[in-house]
Amino acid sequence: MKFLLSGCSLFALTILLVPSALAADASRLEIYPSTLNLSGSDACAQILVTRISPDGRREDFTGDARFEASRAGWLRLTGGRVTPLADGTGTIRITAGGLNSEIPVHVSGSSTLHPVSFTHQVIPVLTRFGCNSGGCHGKQSGQNGFRLSLLGFDPELDHATLTKEVRGRRIEVAAPERSLLLLKASGGVAHGGGKKFDSNSDEYRLIRRWIAAGAIGMKDNDPTLKRLEVVPPMRRFTPEARQQMVALAHYSDGRTDDVTRMAQYESNDPEVAAVDAAGVTKAGKRPGEAAIMVRFSGKVEVFRAQVPVSQGTTGTDFVAHNPIDKAVVARWRELGVTPSPRAADSIFIRRMALDLTGTLPTPERVHAFETSKSPDKDAQLADELLSSPEYAYYFAGKWADILRVKRGNQADRAFGTFAFHQWLRDAVASDMPYDRMARRIIAAVGDEERSPTTVWYKDLTTTDQMVDNLSQVFLGTRLQCAQCHHHPYERWTQDDYWNLAAYFGQLGRKNIPMVARGGQQQQNLQRSVYYNKGTGAVLNKRTGKPAVPAPLDGGTTTLLPGEDPRNALVDWMVRKDNPFFARAVANRYWAQFFGRGIVDPIDDMRVTNPPSNPALLDALASELVKTNFSLRQLSRAIVTSSVYRLSSDPVPGNATDRQSFARYYPKRMTAEVLHDAVHQVTGTPPTFAGVPTDRHAPTRAIMLPDESFASYFLDVFGRPQRLSPCECERVSEANLAQVLHLVNSEEIQSKIGRAGGRADLLAKDPRPDAEKITELFLWALGRVPEESKLKLALDHVEKSGKNKKQAYENILWALINIREFSWVR
Amino acid sequence: MLTVWGSSRRFCDGVNRRDFIRVGALGTGLTLADLMRQRALGAKRAPASKAKAAILIYLPGGPSHMDMYDLKPDAPKEFRGEFNPIATSVPGIQISEHFALQAKMFDKLAVVRSLVSVDEHSDSLVMTGYSEQTNRIQQHPSFGSVMSKIRSGQTDGDSVPPFVSLRGMSKGTEPGFLGVAHRPFSPGGPGLANLKPATANTGLNLDSRRDLLTGFDDLRRDIDASGTLSGIDTFTSRAFDMVTSGVVRNALSLEKEAAAVRERYKGVESFLTARRLVEAGVSCVTLSIGGWDTHSNNFQTLKKQLPQVDRGIANLISDLHERGLSDDVAVVMWGEFGRTPKINSNAGRDHWSPVMSALVAGGGMRMGQAVGSSTARGERPKDRPYKVSNLLATLYNAMGVDPATTFANGNGRPVYILDDRDQIPELVG
Repeated sequence: MKFLLSGCSLFALTILLVPSALAADASRLEIYPSTLNLSGSDACAQILVTRISPDGRREDFTGDARFEASRAGWLRLTGGRVTPLADGTGTIRITAGGLNSEIPVHVSGSSTLHPVSFTHQVIPVLTRFGCNSGGCHGKQSGQNGFRLSLLGFDPELDHATLTKEVRGRRIEVAAPERSLLLLKASGGVAHGGGKKFDSNSDEYRLIRRWIAAGAIGMKDNDPTLKRLEVVPPMRRFTPEARQQMVALAHYSDGRTDDVTRMAQYESNDPEVAAVDAAGVTKAGKRPGEAAIMVRFSGKVEVFRAQVPVSQGTTGTDFVAHNPIDKAVVARWRELGVTPSPRAADSIFIRRMALDLTGTLPTPERVHAFETSKSPDKDAQLADELLSSPEYAYYFAGKWADILRVKRGNQADRAFGTFAFHQWLRDAVASDMPYDRMARRIIAAVGDEERSPTTVWYKDLTTTDQMVDNLSQVFLGTRLQCAQCHHHPYERWTQDDYWNLAAYFGQLGRKNIPMVARGGQQQQNLQRSVYYNKGTGAVLNKRTGKPAVPAPLDGGTTTLLPGEDPRNALVDWMVRKDNPFFARAVANRYWAQFFGRGIVDPIDDMRVTNPPSNPALLDALASELVKTNFSLRQLSRAIVTSSVYRLSSDPVPGNATDRQSFARYYPKRMTAEVLHDAVHQVTGTPPTFAGVPTDRHAPTRAIMLPDESFASYFLDVFGRPQRLSPCECERVSEANLAQVLHLVNSEEIQSKIGRAGGRADLLAKDPRPDAEKITELFLWALGRVPEESKLKLALDHVEKSGKNKKQAYENILWALINIREFSWVR
Repeated sequence: MLTVWGSSRRFCDGVNRRDFIRVGALGTGLTLADLMRQRALGAKRAPASKAKAAILIYLPGGPSHMDMYDLKPDAPKEFRGEFNPIATSVPGIQISEHFALQAKMFDKLAVVRSLVSVDEHSDSLVMTGYSEQTNRIQQHPSFGSVMSKIRSGQTDGDSVPPFVSLRGMSKGTEPGFLGVAHRPFSPGGPGLANLKPATANTGLNLDSRRDLLTGFDDLRRDIDASGTLSGIDTFTSRAFDMVTSGVVRNALSLEKEAAAVRERYKGVESFLTARRLVEAGVSCVTLSIGGWDTHSNNFQTLKKQLPQVDRGIANLISDLHERGLSDDVAVVMWGEFGRTPKINSNAGRDHWSPVMSALVAGGGMRMGQAVGSSTARGERPKDRPYKVSNLLATLYNAMGVDPATTFANGNGRPVYILDDRDQIPELVG
């Protein structure tokens, strides 16, 4: 099999890996490509050298191999990179790891200059040196009057900018060296971005040649880039191992270029595997799978780097219960990960109660669970929690965050936010199928009080906000980049973006004065009404023309006369084969329980950020579709899986793992949950400013309908202001002010010391101190204290003498401030 | 629940950076990511060479440029107003007669007379670089919040908050998408109260509580692969230190100053507080003075306010020079826009965004100059027109912060601190 490389192009390319040493029981070298045919002055190729052990293990030896051409002055060989110097036929001899091999090479036309392609050769140089990056000329306003399209996504515009602006001084065809483009880039004149390449570099020569030949732009019959290919597409690494990649660009005219040196690389998880600018991936210390993005000329492709656990695996008694377990186990096998043992009952009940209801279990409930002998007690607990009002409140709050149920301290918005929150709570409590829930929100019409789901639109005043929120919340993708330019990490174009926006083109909005009621004067208060205008369009920002409604993965939408286009959009979303809808919510729910999405961040699903366990995500999504989009069933399937039952304590086979769910990953309580837990444990009823005092009023932070209830506690622990559709708006980190507040605030002290609070009551309680201290531990941590802790506490009580209340306050304070209290494990 | 993975993420510009962080520090700024970074630097960490600070003085309402730093004595009477220009210590530069103290020290000051603003009654533009209109959707962070984000944990001043607002909260002090952690510390709020030793409560002994805490807490730290668990331990000991050291409380109590000093700042005490805060290690202080929306009685109002401002700024600048801090502290004073060059029928001036002035000082910027100019009647920039964001870019650079730094917004898109971030070259070193 022959590779013909012309202008760094491979003709008639077929990947065929030819073993060079044939002994079956010995290691051998595999050379890619097996034959090289280089043609044209720009020809170049990257050779891959792989050693295959008798057990089939593959190791990259490209970096360690020695390359030798059979003729002198014929080829330049640097680290497996071949650049021809003269025509001729011969071989390259490769020596690596005590083995050797040889490939035939034919070089022709090395002095023939082919026309330089602006799109496929010049722009990639500008991209590689960062000229068109967002920090430089690629930014919206350009840099010092020179603006290129971001990452070269718009070659036509770039060509015009280079050849026509500033009276053509950037390009001087008659004297290419005097072109500003070359002078600036090579340091010939002052350049804010510094010198980018030398005047004797390949890049300089390429651009000079392009200019000298007339600085030709695009032509209609120019070949287009059909696809990008990465060789190898996937590799299983040994610890600390490396892998050279080859990036190949396949064009519409059948030509193939080796673009390894011009492509850009990036890992989605550098701790698992990192990549450098030369396309060499290096395994890190964490086990898992990383996706290495390879980008060239607007196309992206992924190299999968699988890094198994380095320690030996240990035995496990893990029993797979459901499809979730099976998918997870399969992954553990691949990565050699060992699961942790089952969690203790006391830890598990606290975990499930906090994850499902945001509420601590009472000492009685913990005791009942621990002593229950029922084989179904986990499932019973799940059903009990899933039918509790706290579950409805807690998950309604979760949705209210990303659906931005936000008052913004505007009085006339409270009617809407309260109604929408109530609606969400009912939807969760009644387990409204998720597809219907989505339709009621996305295609909402009516006024904000009587059709509460219209409140979603309240903060979304422009169509681009609608697209960004819709895609992030319901499709699990971040499209915002594609509003102004081709998405750098996805295939989405500006047209894709605006075609999606077009579904919102007929949405009408009116503000009407609020009607007075209950004798109250409503001055200047308004509410919004949303309706289908029946006409209207959204302008595509790129073309300036009306966009045509079209779903994300191609296809078209036929609208019936009078039909609200948003309904057609939902029709596409909720189809059983929609690749985004079910997966997005399955991933979101998984992260709710495991603290990390299968795709992470949870709303950033894209080709270059694939799921860490695709089979698991598919299993969850199909579970969801099978149950007619029941989110309760989805939650139930997750919390009754054997995976969820695992301890959070690491074992040697999973200590560094953080993407294969071989143990429960502990999380900190959220602001609201911690707030409620502190009140529960101190025996204090919470109060919120602006909450009515009747018996239906919310008495827990997880019950608050919107964000406008002032609370330093909630703010400092990171309650989101519902400014964005991202769950990441919620605090993800600890900080000093939080610790200060728990340690030293008047608020916490007053709750701990409240007359009639738990410390006070326990101090007065005639039971023995040991019993009372145990009860405190059960409240706070869901478990009894160890001997030593109990003794420490008893000693403290004894030392305090008459001031028993103070002693109990101190113990309570300490329990609130230890990590175990505010963590779910 | 919270996710605690702190890994770095990439976004659509290909820049690696930490995940979108929204931590509720409310004035102490230091977040876990910062702590980790600090730790990673370990003992080798060079002592942060006098980290630079900024004092942003906001004149709410829009101060009249033509009666302060850009007088037009040759303009027709209905434009030039009642005030006369006086010479300053810098030949060729004149300012209002009510700025006598500044006039004597103009070699330590500079004015930009050709700034273009937007017609909005808001501190959004001058504090964030973006109009309030833009920020309603985009949520760009305040200058101080950016400093908080960047500086948290970088300096030794961890027991002081990086961003302090002496004028409460406003659109322009909001952290936007950087998250509530980077809200300014506002003296008077619960954040301050939490720094008081709680011994006031009888019999309360922090030490014995701490012993219990240590005794009870034996949760395995290795269950959390992100390191957050062990990080919080550091916070806990630092929290105890902050309560006992009282650096912030000291900085805010002006009684520590000599009576003569307090006398100099009488009526403009916030300028003194600002000085004490930057001396204590605060990275950004914002304060405001007066009301400048002089649709009527412009000259009467200004006659009262200008000498006050003059005293505040002149004392602040000379104090900074005396203490050798002039290069380390950048000061800017401006409002949201200028005022109509033509005086209205109520002896007032109305909103005028086509041109305004800003006073700058210190921070290693070039002083003793007037940058740009306005047209003969003070209506538009005549030369060197600059945007507000250009001056902010200059200030960021003076702080050692590259305004091309990006942070991810709520949609995961990397957003530059300033889109329009060319500096004002005249001011640069």
